[in-house]
Amino acid sequence: MTGAQIAAAARRQTTVIPRRRRGEAASAWGFAGLMYGAVGLAFLGLAAIIWDFAGDGASVLSWDFVTSFPSRVIPENAGIESAVVGTIYLMLICAALVVPIGVMTAVYLEEYADGTRWYNRVIEVNIQNLAGVPSVVYGILGLAFIVRGPLSMGPVLLAGGITLALLVLPVVVIVAREAIRAVPPSIREASLALGATQWQTIWKQVLPGSVAGIATGVILALSRAIGETAPLLVVGAGVSLRFNPDGLDSSFTALPIQIFAWTQDPNQEFVARAAGAICVLMIILLLMNSVAIWLRNRYEQKW
Amino acid sequence: MPENVRDEQIAEPAAQDERRFVSTQAAEHAHEVPAAAIAEPIFDVRDVAVFYGDHRAVTDITVRLAKRQITALIGPSGCGKSTFIRCLNRMNDLIPIARVEGQVIYHEQDLYESRIDPVQVRKRIGMVFQKPNPFPKSIYDNIAFGPRVMGMKGDMDEIVESALRRGALWDDVKDRLKANAFGLSGGQQQRLCIARALATEPDVLLMDEPCSALDPISTGRIEDLMLELKKNYSIVIVTHNMQQAARVSDMTAFFTVELDAGETHRTGRVVEYAPTDKIFTNPDDKRTEDYVTGKVG
Amino acid sequence: MAEHARIHFQDELRSLEGQALGALDLVVTTLDRTLEALEHQDIELASIVVNDDDRIDGRFLEVHQGILSLLALQAPVAGDLRTVAALLHVIRHAERMGDQCVNIAKVMPLVGHEPPSDEQMLERIFKMGRLARSEVAQAKQAFVLRDVSLAQDLVRQDEEINHLNREVFRRAVEIGTDEDRREWAMTMMLVARALERIGDNAVDIGEQVAFVVTGLFREFSDASHV
Repeated sequence: MTGAQIAAAARRQTTVIPRRRRGEAASAWGFAGLMYGAVGLAFLGLAAIIWDFAGDGASVLSWDFVTSFPSRVIPENAGIESAVVGTIYLMLICAALVVPIGVMTAVYLEEYADGTRWYNRVIEVNIQNLAGVPSVVYGILGLAFIVRGPLSMGPVLLAGGITLALLVLPVVVIVAREAIRAVPPSIREASLALGATQWQTIWKQVLPGSVAGIATGVILALSRAIGETAPLLVVGAGVSLRFNPDGLDSSFTALPIQIFAWTQDPNQEFVARAAGAICVLMIILLLMNSVAIWLRNRYEQKW
Repeated sequence: MPENVRDEQIAEPAAQDERRFVSTQAAEHAHEVPAAAIAEPIFDVRDVAVFYGDHRAVTDITVRLAKRQITALIGPSGCGKSTFIRCLNRMNDLIPIARVEGQVIYHEQDLYESRIDPVQVRKRIGMVFQKPNPFPKSIYDNIAFGPRVMGMKGDMDEIVESALRRGALWDDVKDRLKANAFGLSGGQQQRLCIARALATEPDVLLMDEPCSALDPISTGRIEDLMLELKKNYSIVIVTHNMQQAARVSDMTAFFTVELDAGETHRTGRVVEYAPTDKIFTNPDDKRTEDYVTGKVG
Repeated sequence: MAEHARIHFQDELRSLEGQALGALDLVVTTLDRTLEALEHQDIELASIVVNDDDRIDGRFLEVHQGILSLLALQAPVAGDLRTVAALLHVIRHAERMGDQCVNIAKVMPLVGHEPPSDEQMLERIFKMGRLARSEVAQAKQAFVLRDVSLAQDLVRQDEEINHLNREVFRRAVEIGTDEDRREWAMTMMLVARALERIGDNAVDIGEQVAFVVTGLFREFSDASHV
């Protein structure tokens, strides 16, 4: 063999960085293809939903639609003001209840609870379970204890708000715990080493550092609550009310209820109005999620 | 020359064999520096032991730590140096299964007496940690946190400036006190943590491997800072870096870790406690000699 | 449980010690040659001694450089540090002892081929030579074994050398009026003095042994007690 042939043979035998094997490239492409396919399917599903109601609903949307009350008889005059206002009030009550209770529970579990005690372990296990309980069960809970039973409020706004708050409370606790846990122990150590009490450390270091995470989580929890129909039905939300709720003890309705009622109606016009209401609900959801994303991007704490 | 003259001049007893290290019994008490040597200790530690549950992590610690000097704690991994230093400001209280026995006398009070509030203890004894841990706030708010929490009276601007000057950071940051502390370099962040600890006007500074995460130049600056600070503060430093202990400290305590009979539990104790010069030129205990010369890690 | 670390450093330290103590072997060889040249008036052997001193000087530089490197790069402490410091002294003493041999060798052409000689002086001088040789060998052995009592024993031998040196001096004073004899006697006194200095250097090495072992530096005997 010539010198060049010997050198070439040596190179072939002792490549320092081996070339990619044939199968590897193909499987890499295949996997990427599968992933894109999955994403595509998901988008397809979403597009189908949007197409479905947007088509019908867009024509219905107007300022009148949002600012007039529903009618049981004349579809053209049916608006969703009471439903929108009811939904907004429900969200406010829900938030007002869920934020303090949820955050304080999370603070207790993360900062104070001794993990070896049995009652704390019971709480730990059950938080996850509660988050997965079907929402209609919360409706039954609300009906039995709040609308009737010990509290006997009747089917009023406050009852609906409390029921929704109970529904999303586990989620808020979980999210808040994650946000609090994200604050590194070194921050707590530094604060305590400076002579701060545990409460001072939580109030001045831990909570401020987890606010972004908690806020984001609360908004996402609320955007789940906003679409819950079953619990509100069981609790006794009204349908096609021609007035806005005038107090915590007033009857109420909400967008999902109104949508549900209209889609049941034999009159196709009402079904079309339902599509419009769905559009409004979607827009509200989109706004809430956008706010959540903006909050996270703006205030997220990178440790 | 007559025999007796020769004997007088050679005061050191001729060793029976090469080994001239003190016997193990003597070594047990070798670390108890005669009381006269440290007349006014800042910490008088007596028979301290720390337990994590049933496991005895450190035991039989009896040392007198000197005032306005730098004391280094050295020893192999897991020998309990960090556990011990955290006893001095009751930081071990934060670990639920930790239990401390013995006494730590500070300003004529036993820190572990039942009526002593650990929060008050930590206001007078500052601590700096291995990885710089500034708060995600402005430089100003970092320094001001301690004084505010304490309710310190006085002009906060002055308090912050004074602390930053003592921490050798004022010149670096005086024009950007409102900037976020995370924007500082590693060495600057550590000096910020030192200044933050000094802001509450402690008289002791505990430092747990303060330079481990820093580059050599930053390390050098912090060592210079320590030598400056010891004029006014008593400093106790845990370090893995023996050269650092040799460079900056006045007294050095060497910890070792012992396995119990069943070879399952590791317990730390102080083997030798002496002026740094002695530890590094002529230690009494063979275990100290083996560790500082690097024969045993 | 003992894990042995810094093996490279320990090897370097041992090698450096070998080099420094090896210089003492060179000194013994040189001293043997010097005494032989003196006994047989061998001018050639004397000039070999003078030239070969370069080897000891070279060894001095090697060890010196090795010590500097070890200090800078390995930062020895405690016992290792004392050993390194002691080696610096040892190699210096070895170099001085080599120089003393050269001093002895250099006087030889002056003495002439048929020198007037005094038996008593010569006897004492050769005894001093044997004692000096034994001291150097024993100093090396004491260092190798880290044996403090062996090092302290050097004092006894050195006292004998000092005693013999005094006797040589007395003989030189009493040698008489003959000029040649006086010249020879004074030359022999220089030789005796050089041998006595070799003995002192050996005792100094012994003191270094004690320092390495105990960490304390004490003079075995004051130089003023001659």
